[in-house]
Amino acid sequence: MKSQDSGRPLSRHKLQAKRWLIGFFILQIGFDLAHSVTAFPFVHYGMFSQSFPHPDTLTVFRVSVDGETLRPEDFAVYRWDMVQGPLGAAEKRAVTNDFAGDKKRLGSLYNRLRPNLDNTGDFAPWYKGYLGRLLGHPVGVLKVDKLRYRWTDGRMVLIQTENWIYA
Amino acid sequence: MIRQGRLLSQVRPVLWNFNRDLTELAVIASGLPRWMIAHPGSFLLFDVLLFALPLAWLMSGLRRWLGVAFVCFLALYLLLADIFWQMHHEPFILYVLLPMALITRRSDRFDTIFRFCRYYFLYIFVSAAVWKIARGAVFNGDEMSRILLIHHSELLSGDCSGWLCRAYAWLIDRPFMAQLFYISGVLVEAAFVVGVFTRRYDRLLLGLAVLFVVADLLVMRIPYWTLLLGCVTLWLDTRPRQRAIVVYETTHHENLPALLDCCEMRFPRVVVFLREGSFANLSGGQSPAARWPATEFVVQAPGESNRRFIRRLLRFPCSHLHLATLDNNLWLWALRLIAAPDLQVSVTVHEVNAFFTRPLGSLRDVTETLAKPLLRLRVRHYHFFLPAMAQRFAKMMPRAVTVFLPSRFYGAAAPVVDETRPFTIVIPGSVDANRRDYEPVLEVFRRWPAQLPPVQLVLLGDSGSEFGRSLVAQLQTQTKVRHYEGYIPEITYEQEIRQADVLWSPLRIHKTGSRHNPEIYGQTTASGLTADILLNNIPALAPEELILPDPFTIALLPYRDAHEAAQRLKRLATDDSYRIRLRQDIHRAFGYFSREHFAAAFDRLTALDPKGEEGAADAIDAVHPGVQK
Repeated sequence: MKSQDSGRPLSRHKLQAKRWLIGFFILQIGFDLAHSVTAFPFVHYGMFSQSFPHPDTLTVFRVSVDGETLRPEDFAVYRWDMVQGPLGAAEKRAVTNDFAGDKKRLGSLYNRLRPNLDNTGDFAPWYKGYLGRLLGHPVGVLKVDKLRYRWTDGRMVLIQTENWIYA
Repeated sequence: MIRQGRLLSQVRPVLWNFNRDLTELAVIASGLPRWMIAHPGSFLLFDVLLFALPLAWLMSGLRRWLGVAFVCFLALYLLLADIFWQMHHEPFILYVLLPMALITRRSDRFDTIFRFCRYYFLYIFVSAAVWKIARGAVFNGDEMSRILLIHHSELLSGDCSGWLCRAYAWLIDRPFMAQLFYISGVLVEAAFVVGVFTRRYDRLLLGLAVLFVVADLLVMRIPYWTLLLGCVTLWLDTRPRQRAIVVYETTHHENLPALLDCCEMRFPRVVVFLREGSFANLSGGQSPAARWPATEFVVQAPGESNRRFIRRLLRFPCSHLHLATLDNNLWLWALRLIAAPDLQVSVTVHEVNAFFTRPLGSLRDVTETLAKPLLRLRVRHYHFFLPAMAQRFAKMMPRAVTVFLPSRFYGAAAPVVDETRPFTIVIPGSVDANRRDYEPVLEVFRRWPAQLPPVQLVLLGDSGSEFGRSLVAQLQTQTKVRHYEGYIPEITYEQEIRQADVLWSPLRIHKTGSRHNPEIYGQTTASGLTADILLNNIPALAPEELILPDPFTIALLPYRDAHEAAQRLKRLATDDSYRIRLRQDIHRAFGYFSREHFAAAFDRLTALDPKGEEGAADAIDAVHPGVQK
């Protein structure tokens, strides 16, 4: 790579570059202070920084494929994330009614962009096909249960089972 | 990503998520995700572009528009991945920022962007620590215990028979112990603030980053490896390096003169790190400081360890490093050089075979065997004292740049035969039966005719060994012998060579090298004769198996046996006109050994551009555009 100095003083370039650098970090810190919202590439690095209250119950998605329950021990960390991630996202969509609260904040803009902002896909059949691709074989019967546990005496005690998906 | 099924075409999503990111909202609002869901083939197209664009960019020689296209597309792909399957951006931001350094064609901008990326990498950690402190999590004694419980609930709800799961359960019930992990993590993250003020601890911070990621995987089961790309900003020091060459020398100082002459010719600054003994004997006639006035000499302090000396050397912000001797500390050098990838390194190889052998007999052998492939991977430019060595090495390592440079340049005055002195034969080098065969020497003097002029024989090397003393005793009964014990100061050594009428190098061509490796003089290793012979214009008697290239050959008087050696010596001792003619021929031929003739070879050795007035380090510029020219 050859230097192509245009003849302008180097200090001016450096000053300009420094301004960009400082500007970027001001924006980054601004978004950091704004807590609830980010704007890629200005993201938060505040994972696991909120004070967690003691959880009364813990929800776990139990995924069964053709009668066999999938266990995290049988998957690499990344692959297990790919099994569980869509379930967490689907539940969030359901709980927020497809992010209704966020859409409401858009005001009149929402009505104009509505076709682009509303989800219309069906989760259960997609997840069944997706899981088949992930596992490398077609899924005959898919069953997903929401299990609620409580941590008691050094172990998880099941307190409730809720059937969620059967496809 | 492919193996883990994380490409868009593998996921083939039908729903999107809003993750409270304004840029993502803009992408969703643009209708692209909706359109992609309606046209699933577009997922495959995006995946193909994800790999094809950087490949095309690299193959095009980093064309700017392709670089810009790649960075923009990568940013879009990351946004879509988060929108469709919540691939969080945090560890990938540097994947977008770092390629920008390669888009620019200006070295100062490259440096600025790279520095910016370094600051961003530091910010990731420092910001994470600040969040944890500012939001009080670090002061919540149950924080980590609860995080573990929530985060590993899927694992804990199973039979929890694995050691890792049991360890999580153990920590959950011991909040204090768990919190120690959390606080340690915050301390590690906070330590990165040091990097904002100094680059001195970058390697330590790099180690902490790796430690953090490993701990994250073990304790949190979060595979954050992708974040480690940012380590490249701690690894590479892109600050403009001073255009200077540092030469490291330990024991073969007699081979330095030509190298230093070239260094002074091509570099504005030359620094030589060497031992006290090497400094004292570097130049025979005058002090090194007077002989090379533009060169700085850094002498290893008495008691200073090699490790410390090498560390001191590597702190010098030079653009080039030449290892004139690499006999010891190979492992240390290999690691140190890999840790300085932007340094242009060249090495003088004294024994070709030794550089490729893989002995395992001792701990040192093992470390050297491990270090050699690393060195060969890191160093591509090699220097030899004979062309045959360079050719032999090139066959063994075809990618290497191999260069022949003599030990010294020829600068002797025109020959004059001094008839007042006795005929003097000098045998240079320590009296060592492994390296030299003295039987022909004894044989010649045993039969030296009395009517011929007397001979002054000089054994110019340490003859203090038992073998040396015995040889001296035998020779003294036959002729006049001057001999030395211990190290001969360079000034004496060069004086003896200059006063000789003939040098005699009774080499054993096949010798055992410094690591018990077989070496061949003239082919895989060079004898000291190739350095000594250039001190003057005197002929050298050597076994005929020793093959030296032109113009060395003019000075070589080969012999098959003692009889032939005696014939040659007798003619030299008795025929003054032959002697003066021969020396004049050598004087003319050795004119070839000048700085000017070897400037191009030196440029190749140091990867300098011969077109530039002072040269331009292309090899460095390719990986390190920040070098000052």
